[in-house]
Amino acid sequence: MTRGWQVALVLGLLGLFTLFYQGLWGDPKMIPSVLIGTPAPTFDGPRVGSSERLGLEHFRGKVLVINFWASWCQECRLEHSNLLAIYTRFKDHPKFAMLGIDYQDKEDDALDYLREYGTSFPHIHDLTGALSIDYGVYGVPETFIIDQQGLIRYKWIGPIIGDAYTHVIEAVIPPLLNGGPAKT
Amino acid sequence: MRRPSLQRGIAWSGALALLLVLSSAAWSSTVEESELDVQTREIAKTLRCTVCQTESIWESGAPLAAQMRQVIRERLAQGQSPDEIRAYFYSRYGDYILMQPPKRGVHWIIWTGPFAALLIGGFFLYRTLRRWVVQTPASSPEGFEPLDESSRKRLERELHS
Repeated sequence: MTRGWQVALVLGLLGLFTLFYQGLWGDPKMIPSVLIGTPAPTFDGPRVGSSERLGLEHFRGKVLVINFWASWCQECRLEHSNLLAIYTRFKDHPKFAMLGIDYQDKEDDALDYLREYGTSFPHIHDLTGALSIDYGVYGVPETFIIDQQGLIRYKWIGPIIGDAYTHVIEAVIPPLLNGGPAKT
Repeated sequence: MRRPSLQRGIAWSGALALLLVLSSAAWSSTVEESELDVQTREIAKTLRCTVCQTESIWESGAPLAAQMRQVIRERLAQGQSPDEIRAYFYSRYGDYILMQPPKRGVHWIIWTGPFAALLIGGFFLYRTLRRWVVQTPASSPEGFEPLDESSRKRLERELHS
């Protein structure tokens, strides 16, 4: 076997091994969501702490930040102050809206969590988890940003902290509010 | 000859064992799966748990997997076909949700890769072995000394003894 063949064989086997590894143990965070560029699934759920219902229709024509969270989720606590900061930063823009979706949680726990960490934007319950599956959620926290046409333009798996936070407030939300494309 | 007390003990033990077997059989009940359960299981086995990753949503104990099984049941009850339900999950999670990679595009590498590696490996093994055989000098009759008379006689004697 020539040297070239040996190198090609080793590279081929390495490539194959990488594909198997990625397929079996790869981090879903690294896999681009198939929902990017598709219409946001419609939903309608009860508001946390209220009998009122809130659905996607309520936010039509707006740039909507949807954050999936839960009171039992430790990473959600890390990002909570940043979520409040995002809302404070853009809330005066007429085309901006934000919604929290409480995933698999008890009403009392969710209310305690919001009392402790504060809230400024509305939240609804996803009691059965069907809404989260509809959005292809792997686990909380996850954040989606929907453009004015109702298309999902951005998805982040994990807490919105550090570079992710900077990216969202500088490169994702402002262009979408101006009607342009977001930097993914 | 066995002692009567030992025989009585064995008899009592046998009776007790028989009683246990009969009573458990009387109280046992078979778990009957409905057609919906069977279909749910078959679909759930083909979808990967997004939390546990190496388990199907049928095997996984994660709450999200339980919710996915519930979604499958609901969609089956609504009259959707298994393919439609798989297509729904695929539209939400992409290739990642499938326990088996789809047979298209780059995924063919995963399907054919092991066989290709086996073929290529076999080919190079064959070539290497063939080269070894060619390079090893064959033994020839010229290399042997002819038998002398005494050795030949001894050999014949031993063969016929």
